[in-house]
Amino acid sequence: MKAIKIQLWYGLLGLGILLGLLTTYRVLISTGFVLYAKTDILVWTMPIAAYVFFSLTSSGLAFVSSIPIVFGIKRYQPLEKRTAFLEIAILVAAFTCLLLHLGSPWNVVYYLFSPNLASPLWWLGMLYGLYLIVLLLSFRKMHKAVVSKGLGIFTFIIAIATSTALGWLFGLPDARPVYNANFLAMYFPLTGFGSALAAVLLFSLAYHHYAKIPLSEGDSNLYDDLSKLFGVVMVLTLVFFIWRTIVGGVSASAVEFAGFRHMLGSGWYHLALWIGLVIPLVLIAMPSVRAATWGKVTSAVLFLIGMFAGRLELVLSGLVMPTGPKAEGQPPFVSYWPTIWEVFVFVFALSVLLFIYTLGERNLRLSEVTE
Amino acid sequence: MPKYAMVIDLQRCVGCGACSIACRNENNVSEGIYWSNKITETSGTFPNVRFHYRPTLCNHCTNPPCVRGCPTKAMHKLDNGITMHDPDKCIGCRYCMFNCPYEVIYFNWQEPHKFWKDSRPVIEGGTSSPKEMAQKVNNGNGAPYSNPARGKTLPENRPKGVVEKCTFCDHRINVGEIPYCAEACPADARVFGDLDKPDSKVNQLLGKYKPYRLKERLGTQPNVYYIRSYNPAHYKRTKGGI
Repeated sequence: MKAIKIQLWYGLLGLGILLGLLTTYRVLISTGFVLYAKTDILVWTMPIAAYVFFSLTSSGLAFVSSIPIVFGIKRYQPLEKRTAFLEIAILVAAFTCLLLHLGSPWNVVYYLFSPNLASPLWWLGMLYGLYLIVLLLSFRKMHKAVVSKGLGIFTFIIAIATSTALGWLFGLPDARPVYNANFLAMYFPLTGFGSALAAVLLFSLAYHHYAKIPLSEGDSNLYDDLSKLFGVVMVLTLVFFIWRTIVGGVSASAVEFAGFRHMLGSGWYHLALWIGLVIPLVLIAMPSVRAATWGKVTSAVLFLIGMFAGRLELVLSGLVMPTGPKAEGQPPFVSYWPTIWEVFVFVFALSVLLFIYTLGERNLRLSEVTE
Repeated sequence: MPKYAMVIDLQRCVGCGACSIACRNENNVSEGIYWSNKITETSGTFPNVRFHYRPTLCNHCTNPPCVRGCPTKAMHKLDNGITMHDPDKCIGCRYCMFNCPYEVIYFNWQEPHKFWKDSRPVIEGGTSSPKEMAQKVNNGNGAPYSNPARGKTLPENRPKGVVEKCTFCDHRINVGEIPYCAEACPADARVFGDLDKPDSKVNQLLGKYKPYRLKERLGTQPNVYYIRSYNPAHYKRTKGGI
């Protein structure tokens, strides 16, 4: 029975990967990017929002896995190996989304031959490349039960650099002040950390459920601790979210903020606020719900859904208002709904993530505590 | 080394769009892409309305955000001030489009000149197909009216998955000619020249009238200037020169 379930699971993931490969062929080789709901106005859409979502979650996981080694809080050690492996799987998912966002990904070789050090995108590409290498090295060491403090600290520093550089990337264009670099350089690492806590809770508790391994008292205490930390991060995220709304949506008068004000009424915004922040925060604030496994899992899933919607809302908020010559013949704000091919990009990335993670969970003893 | 700039005289411009058509022909610009474009606005309330027409193109900024953001230097500055793009280095991230405050960079979402790849005859049994026509005229390289001279400094037709934009007709400048939009303008509203030559026509106009540039507050320092707006001042008609 268990073998059939596993085969079904792999079959499902295989289907997701096949859809992704079909999308890759059609987007990059045959038809082109007209398959996406992209226009000359909405130049970045769901694939880049998914990239931001996955890459920040991966950086956030680096913060979580660094807690025992960088901050010396040893009770988080049982999470270390699973978290480190999850970082790799999620980063690969982020790269999958990026691959299907780029028009000519094979020209990425010019990152090495023709680097532009003034570009945040160059730094981000190099930092994420380095991050993946460091993660692989770090996990290899962890797997051999030898954890180097230096490598742990290095991973932590790169995670800070990547998540803050993403804020720089969005905040570079002076013409789009809605993406405030200073704000995003704080908001991105914080929300990445929140997504990471949600992912750790979700994947760890799912492991216990599917492997039919009951939670020990130590595990229960650890996950309760993690839930409290998750609640604190959600409160901070909500504060940032509200201030962003007040500053960009109410007090700012520059014409460029009109796009953001338009997004305040959108489904993506409400999904991010109510489903992604308010409801999970209320759930996690109730001690009885927080103590229950279903409460933790529900809050984590809702937060991740809301965070994804929030990433999309953030990307769109600086783009939905056409300006200059591209505003000719356009409505004051353009609307966006992803095409099935854009959804396939997300399904592809998620399938790759879950496939890698399942292989790791079954073969690499992710619950093992390293010394 | 020259520093090229364009002055657009809004009093002379009649909004005919000849600049845009000339640009398409000269640079083999594909459907949906506009190297030369316009911003139109209306003011007032009917029947007291006024129509404003402002031609636009890449501003070839001295401090260009597109160049600063490009990770592989595909978007780069030439010594003569032209902002140029190298499709061979372009990764298609569209960060330049994201950064450009003037919305003058376009992406090839699909194969260029797709219409001319269609093998269905326009009238079944009556006409040839677009693909056959393109094949007979220029071996199927883009549109049948493709201009081979464009291929001297850029691919004659830019491929799918990269961005493209106005180059001030750099291939024409290299042989001592002015951009084709300025050449084709029937009202001589576009004046092209070298800012480093004190007596150039562009400098004369900038000295004579109070020019303005788009979104100057952003500090990008555009090299496309606008002068006048339907006032009775006069100057001797000119196309400028190099």
